[in-house]
Amino acid sequence: MRTFEFFAVKDSHDAVAVLAKHSVSSKVRVIAGGTDLLAELKFSPQSPNVVVDISRAEDLKSITLTDDGLSIGAVVTHSQIMQSPIIREMFPALANAAHVIGAVQTRNLGTLGGNLVTAVPSMDGGPTLMALEAIISIAGPDGRRQVPLNEFFVGPRKTVLKADELLAEIIIPRRNLGKPTHFLKFGLRKGQALALVNAAASFWVDWEKHTFVAPRIALGAVAPKVIRALQAEAYLEGREITPEAMAEAGRIAIGDAKPISDFRASAGYRRNLVGVLTKRALEGAYALAQAKR
Amino acid sequence: MVTVTINVNGEKRTASVPPETTLLRLLRDDFNLTGSKLGCDVGDCGACTVIVDGKAVNSCLMLAAQADGRDVLTIEGLATMDRLHPIQKAFEKYASLQCGFCGPGVIMSAKALLDENPDPTVQEIRDALGGNLCRCTGYVKMIEAIQDAARILRDEPVEINR
Ligand SMILES: Cc1cc2nc3c(=O)[nH]c(=O)nc-3n(C[C@H](O)[C@H](O)[C@H](O)COP(=O)(O)OP(=O)(O)OC[C@H]3O[C@@H](n4cnc5c(N)ncnc54)[C@H](O)[C@@H]3O)c2cc1C
Ligand code: FES
Ligand code: FES
Repeated sequence: MRTFEFFAVKDSHDAVAVLAKHSVSSKVRVIAGGTDLLAELKFSPQSPNVVVDISRAEDLKSITLTDDGLSIGAVVTHSQIMQSPIIREMFPALANAAHVIGAVQTRNLGTLGGNLVTAVPSMDGGPTLMALEAIISIAGPDGRRQVPLNEFFVGPRKTVLKADELLAEIIIPRRNLGKPTHFLKFGLRKGQALALVNAAASFWVDWEKHTFVAPRIALGAVAPKVIRALQAEAYLEGREITPEAMAEAGRIAIGDAKPISDFRASAGYRRNLVGVLTKRALEGAYALAQAKR
Repeated sequence: MVTVTINVNGEKRTASVPPETTLLRLLRDDFNLTGSKLGCDVGDCGACTVIVDGKAVNSCLMLAAQADGRDVLTIEGLATMDRLHPIQKAFEKYASLQCGFCGPGVIMSAKALLDENPDPTVQEIRDALGGNLCRCTGYVKMIEAIQDAARILRDEPVEINR
């Protein structure tokens, strides 16, 4: 690793000030848990001149219910998400997604904010939040701005964040609090393996008509960024909940995905997985809806 | 250079290091605590596992400066002059290690687990060791040793449990 100047900040204001001061003339990078950044810097020929450590930023550390919804601070770690009573109660899928990221040591360091900013298509933090229509709150020199998560990702390892901006909070909107959601990851091993495909499904149930309401399906590792399976969602909206409908949504979701072949799996295998995981994620969300009823 | 002070194995120690120094390098090169091993240097193998403020972490993925002011426990902090820690004792008794390279990391993962969960299931132990690769053993004797150590620690929890 090449050397750099190091600043540890106490909160997001401090962080934004340091970013504003240095991002004009230098290459600045933020470090949270460091699990992606340090691995990158050890191998990258180019390195930042300035590194800003936000891992102790007091105002980015909490999980709280606000008027907007459920707010998760950028530096909340995967372990903290797994252990958060409010998340386990409202969104077990988020806790499950956190649990399949890396191993204990990486989950204790790695943050949800860092997972999203790294923006690899196979990220396990993305699909559940995408299905829950999360909003990203970004802190910059002109204050805060909000961007829906599906507009936050631009492509592989690219987001809308500018050099002087910080991901501050992840907000699950109030209308989706407690929405039954299920997440599944398929990797080659149980531990320490990136997803070949991951999927999240979320919907409300109209118990009188027994139909899907506001179904949302998100898929990872099958496109340059985490995507929504819009055709499958449109098929399910208002439709009666049956095993056949879930299986058909899985088949339609295959058309929403554009996977590639790589050393982990072929595109064909990934397409197959999309069908299976979409169906199972819908089944899981339905089981949760029944349990909560 | 950044000045880093950590409370390592109960002792306050300070060093001035280049900002890109990882916690692992600080421990090994500046504090001569070479028990924590450099395996992959990218978070895959767990040989560098230490406990920071009660949590097992990959010390190769943490900057030394990020550990400033924190409590760090390494393998060197487990045994006392006259006796091994019950987890180490159990690893010896069950012959849980072969070459031993992964050992300090595995034992620190086990220590962090047992501190949080004194009576883990086999599945919970496996989950706790998911980030520790061992190329010699089959993990089975490690798991047996950790179960045994858990039993012993539940009976005599105080003394060495820093
Ligand atoms: C062994 C290993 C296994 C892994 N397994 C998985 C896995 O199974 N699934 C998975 O999804 N990921 C996995 N990861 C990736 C990684 O652990 C996660 O993506 C983690 O959540 C990253 O968070 P961090 O806090 O460590 O990010 P950092 O490394 O600190 O930062 C990552 C990137 O985001 C930027 N950044 C971080 N926070 C902010 C912010 N708030 N605002 C602006 N920019 C920011 C940094 O500049 C950097 O570019 C694994 C990593 C390792 C080392
Ligand atoms: S050396 Fe740190 S995980 Fe391998
Ligand atoms: S005993 Fe040799 S790597 Fe584990």
